[in-house]
Amino acid sequence: MATSRYLTPQKISLLVLVKLYCNSALPSSATIPILSFILSHSITPHPSPARARPARGFQDGTFSIRAFEDVLQAQASSMPGRTLLDVFLKHMWEVNSFDALHNLFTDLGGLLARTRDDPEDGAAADEEQPPDRIFLSRTSPLGTFVRRARLEFTRLQFDDAIKLWSAFIIYRAPTAQWTKRIAGLASAGVDINAAEMGLEPGSRLYEVAYGHLEEEDPNKETLSIDDFDRLLEFQLDQLQRLGSRIPDEMRVRLRNMLGPSGLVLRQSHLVKFFDAWKGGDYTSAFDSLHRYYDYALQSRDKIHYQYALLHMAILQADFGCFGEAIAAINETIATARENQDMACLNFSLSWLNHMSKAYPRQMKGAGYMGMLGSERDGLIFLKQKAREAKMHNLLSATLLNEAKLSLATGESVPRALEHMFQSSHLTIRENINNHGGWMLLHSTLYSRLGLSHLSSAYCDLLLHCYGATTSTDDHIRAYCRSAFAAIQTGRYDEGLALLEKIDASAHRTLKFHQYIYYCTGIINLKRAIRRTDWTACSHLLSSLKPDASTDPELAFLINESRIDYLTARGLFSEAFDAIEDQAAILKEDSADILHRIGMLLAKATLFCRVGKPERGFSVALRAASVAFKARLMPSLWTAMGVLATILNALGEFEGARRVLGSVVPQALEHSDNNLIASLYSALSDSYIGLAGLDDPSSSSGARSRATNVSRAELYIDRARDYYKRTEDLSAECEQIMKKALLAKLRGDEKLAEEWAQNHNRVWEEGRLRVVDGEE
Amino acid sequence: MSSLSAADLAQLRAQLQDAVLSCTERCLYQSAKWAAELLNSLPSSDDHGSDTEIDSPMSDPPPQTPTDQIHKDAMELRLEAREMPKFLLAKTFFDCREYDRCAAVFLPSGLPKGSIHPTSSPAAKLKQAAKGKPKMGTPSRTRTSPESVQGLSQKALFLALYAKYMAGEKRMNEDSEMILGPQDGGVTLNKELAVISAVLQEWFANLQASGRHSQGWLEYLYGIVLAKGKNEKLAIEYLIRSVHRYAYNWGAWQELSSLLGTVEELQQVLSQIPQNIMAFIFNISASQELYQSTEQVHNSLTQILGIFQTSAFLQTQRGLLHYHTKDFEEAEQIFSNLLETDPYRIDSLDNYSNILYVMGLRPKLAFLAQLATATDKFRPETCCVVGNYYSLKSEHEKAVMYFRRALTLDRNFLSAWTLMGHEFVEMKNTHAAIESYRRAVDVNRKDYRAWYGLGQTYEVLEMHSYALFYHQRAAALRPYDPKMWMAVGQCFGKVGKVMNGIRAYKRALVAGSYYDTGAASSFGSGENPGLGGGILDPDVLYQIALLYERMQNTQECASYMELVLAQEEGPEYEESFGGEIGGGVGVTPTTSKARLWLARYEYMRGMYQRAMELANELCQDGVEVEDAKALVRDIRSRIDKERGSS
Repeated sequence: MATSRYLTPQKISLLVLVKLYCNSALPSSATIPILSFILSHSITPHPSPARARPARGFQDGTFSIRAFEDVLQAQASSMPGRTLLDVFLKHMWEVNSFDALHNLFTDLGGLLARTRDDPEDGAAADEEQPPDRIFLSRTSPLGTFVRRARLEFTRLQFDDAIKLWSAFIIYRAPTAQWTKRIAGLASAGVDINAAEMGLEPGSRLYEVAYGHLEEEDPNKETLSIDDFDRLLEFQLDQLQRLGSRIPDEMRVRLRNMLGPSGLVLRQSHLVKFFDAWKGGDYTSAFDSLHRYYDYALQSRDKIHYQYALLHMAILQADFGCFGEAIAAINETIATARENQDMACLNFSLSWLNHMSKAYPRQMKGAGYMGMLGSERDGLIFLKQKAREAKMHNLLSATLLNEAKLSLATGESVPRALEHMFQSSHLTIRENINNHGGWMLLHSTLYSRLGLSHLSSAYCDLLLHCYGATTSTDDHIRAYCRSAFAAIQTGRYDEGLALLEKIDASAHRTLKFHQYIYYCTGIINLKRAIRRTDWTACSHLLSSLKPDASTDPELAFLINESRIDYLTARGLFSEAFDAIEDQAAILKEDSADILHRIGMLLAKATLFCRVGKPERGFSVALRAASVAFKARLMPSLWTAMGVLATILNALGEFEGARRVLGSVVPQALEHSDNNLIASLYSALSDSYIGLAGLDDPSSSSGARSRATNVSRAELYIDRARDYYKRTEDLSAECEQIMKKALLAKLRGDEKLAEEWAQNHNRVWEEGRLRVVDGEE
Repeated sequence: MSSLSAADLAQLRAQLQDAVLSCTERCLYQSAKWAAELLNSLPSSDDHGSDTEIDSPMSDPPPQTPTDQIHKDAMELRLEAREMPKFLLAKTFFDCREYDRCAAVFLPSGLPKGSIHPTSSPAAKLKQAAKGKPKMGTPSRTRTSPESVQGLSQKALFLALYAKYMAGEKRMNEDSEMILGPQDGGVTLNKELAVISAVLQEWFANLQASGRHSQGWLEYLYGIVLAKGKNEKLAIEYLIRSVHRYAYNWGAWQELSSLLGTVEELQQVLSQIPQNIMAFIFNISASQELYQSTEQVHNSLTQILGIFQTSAFLQTQRGLLHYHTKDFEEAEQIFSNLLETDPYRIDSLDNYSNILYVMGLRPKLAFLAQLATATDKFRPETCCVVGNYYSLKSEHEKAVMYFRRALTLDRNFLSAWTLMGHEFVEMKNTHAAIESYRRAVDVNRKDYRAWYGLGQTYEVLEMHSYALFYHQRAAALRPYDPKMWMAVGQCFGKVGKVMNGIRAYKRALVAGSYYDTGAASSFGSGENPGLGGGILDPDVLYQIALLYERMQNTQECASYMELVLAQEEGPEYEESFGGEIGGGVGVTPTTSKARLWLARYEYMRGMYQRAMELANELCQDGVEVEDAKALVRDIRSRIDKERGSS
């Protein structure tokens, strides 16, 4: 059976229900449930970001007659002892021939309110109608539904109308047993004509007319092209907004629905394109995209060309073909300019801007020179354009970009916050679905300011309140960020569990899969470094090789971890080379200030580790000053820790102690256990140093030495405690060694021995854990 | 006749079998189908014998022998045997609708171009040929290659020429382009006719000399060609010759009956044709087409149905006869039964749909349309059924679309033209309506509905004398249909021929009383269904009265007005005022108008009492109350004045 354009048995049934409603046959208690039922099936719900999507079934165009039963059975009709279902089915089975169906549609006109245009039949009809009859306004939702149905029925050719009739019979068939309850209708059977002529199923004439009904698959989905359009549009919406793939089950259904009808809708190519793209199937994505626009050209004019190019550019970039992507996007911009398509133009420029930011090296390598001078000029230009063209979406995104830029360059935080709140205002006022980006940026901002609980609060907010409406990309980022926050306090397992919690369907998209894979890898790597599990480290590192298409953020994290590993393992010259390389790259890309400070700190730490802390002094100081200016608090604290170590090494214990004393309370709030532990460790060193400066001969000196030593021991314990939490084995053992040394210095050999054994035990346990972890 | 002997039956069966084969060989598919249907409607009496021994020599040979000898002379057989491979080739080409290629197998390319309007020579020449004086003044143009044609068997020649004819028809349809488009004037000619005509002319001229016996097929083809060339007398002559030579070619009979315009012509033809069973069937179907639903035809039909018991064709004829006499119930029943016995049969379903249309059985009509569509949606009959359905639903645009489709499928599909005309009238597109009706009449001059429609349309255009002509044609075809005569009378009235108008109306009265079964109009308006016996149509009476009034003949007028009033109660003067039961029509607008007229008339005459009575009756009936009350007031004042003066 060919697919009809709009009308389906479901819609006919809805029309019957509408008619019931208009005849005031519904008791007032049933009005609202019935009306909402009708509307939910006849009108595409407008996607609203703030409200959760209604249950899945409400989108379904293929609901069976059971849906009517469910809704109607609960409602009593105005006739005692009968449910509304009885009344409804009575009307359904009163459509007992094709002619009756025809009449149903012809009479629909009577449901509509009269306009001034057709007064001639209006006057006559008004007198006959009962006074409590409900008339539908022509522009009301129900009115448009009725009018559309009428129009579509008039458009039908006779044999298509007959097909609709057959489909209606099949659709209605499951309710046949109900008719027995309604006297007088049971005899009519499928068709009053057949009944009058005494035809039975099986007689020859009956077979000609209705014989094909039995061959039809009763489970077949009866969908009109209109329903298909809605379905595919919904899929596209989901694909584009969430950036995920079609679920397997849906794909099977789609194929079943589209396959046998021989119907090829343009949108289905687009759906295939997105699916293939997200699935990482470059060639078929490319093929589907071309196919879609080839068919699109036939129905509309060239307007689609720039969008085709835009899609192509994004696709190319996604697969790492930046050269082609830039060529395509340039062409897009040119075409959009020619066609005065501001929306497309602005979007392309924004995308280009985004790309040059996200993949600076690759874009430069592909020959991109920048369209609009500096990045800031570009953003200002885009902002202005977006304002002119009233593209709130773009404006909001640009504002966020501006905030991001000012964060990355280390400019004033209030300015960034101002941009973000402007964007948020727009988002709420214009109902733009941009919450994901906004919240992530907020979370980033707070983590940079060292307010980690606020940062994770925003992540949770995003996941809990906007989980269904934000794109999968943002979703996954939020999860990963939460996971990283968890490992900061040493809760590795919790972090990994969070990553596991991500919907398995996300893994079906190549990009997301890689993202999650890298995140998991980094977490494991960090843990392995802490546990001094070098085999696991080298293994993980070899599998975590960032390439051109990897997210730059992740690439940096991997490199950082690698440096961390090299330093921790004592491969200092390699570590130094890696730091130098990375720093050069970051400088070239004019990368985020946070990363550059991170490299400076890594260098300073390296100098500390190799025992030449004084060489790292200027580096650490620079890092500290920049971090302070940009309000990168965690970096500042780390820098202070390094600085304190250097000061300790230089013998400026008092200065180091004061620096640390001012930093530690803030750092404690940040809850980065490793940082706290290192700060405490430095603090204990300062106290030891101070104790060394005390003159033991004087009583006050001896007392102060004892105080300092006991303070040092206190901080060593704390450091050890925090190191233990982060599973940092070597650092923990180092603290125990310090304890043992202190005991020995104090002359308590037994205690020292105890600590030494303690050290060995911890080490052994740590090693054992590694072995266990490997198994 | 109803009881044929076993031998006769066997022979009939054999002949019908042969007819199916012969028609199929010549690609006359419709005739073959017809014959096969008829063959299978024979009662299978001796099945028990052949069931066990199909191959037994006893069952076949006896009937075979006569038929073979009838028209298989040795020379033809020899020729046929010689050209067998080529014939098979040609036949397959024909079956694949490659008509030109088929014709080219046997016919040389440079055939003469004759005239399709043989002015004098062909008839004269044929007579010469018949008299045995061959080719006296053979025109040089036919002298190209007679040998090549003469050397062919008749079967091959027929097939070749028929293919040529079909090719011409196909091209003609293609040239006509859209239905009712600028190219579709109904005047586009089949360009091959001239060639075929020339070849056949030549062939018949040489027939006597060559010593061959014609088999009848070529005469049939020549008859068609002549009929297309509007040379109808000669066409009839050739077709009669054809059925003499070979009686079982139904196509020939059909052509013949389409050429007959009146009963007289039919009688004339009947006297010339051989008396066999085919002629008998022909008589029935031709009578049906001429709307002769007399007792005699019904009887013949019953007889022949005794032989072909289950013949759908004959039952259809019966149904149509009932339809013509407006016995719709009966006709509907027959068609309904036919539908059940043969659900896949689409032939003449359009007639059935007309019946359902007139009866207003919308659900059934929808069902019929559904059935037909399920079987084949691209048959002109199906399209007509669907069109009728949409017409009944007042969706005239869609109805026209389907009638157009029917015509695209078959330009000569008569009922579609007429029905499309009706739809155009409904859509107030008078020009298109006239054109459609005209085309219908061109296809079949016996379609009274088209004539009537033409008249009606011209009346709408206020061209009454023109309309009169068409109404007269319709009335001539349906002398017993009061509707026609009423139309004629009305036109006469409009053009001022009052006396003729009165005569026509009286004719309508007579015709109306002739059908005692009922006189619902065939156009579905159904204004006064089921007038009882003896009731005269008050409308007609009123019209007559009005005409008399125009002639200043007040006396007659008044008496007719009284007659109108009398119809309210019917002839039996029963007191039951229910009207329908007693047979009267009750109070209608017409009788009220008559009453008002009479009241005024009496008032003028000074018969105030009677006038008062009538006016009061009017007030009671609730029609024309205002006028009646005014009249009452006038009468009162007059009476008062008279009283005052006296």
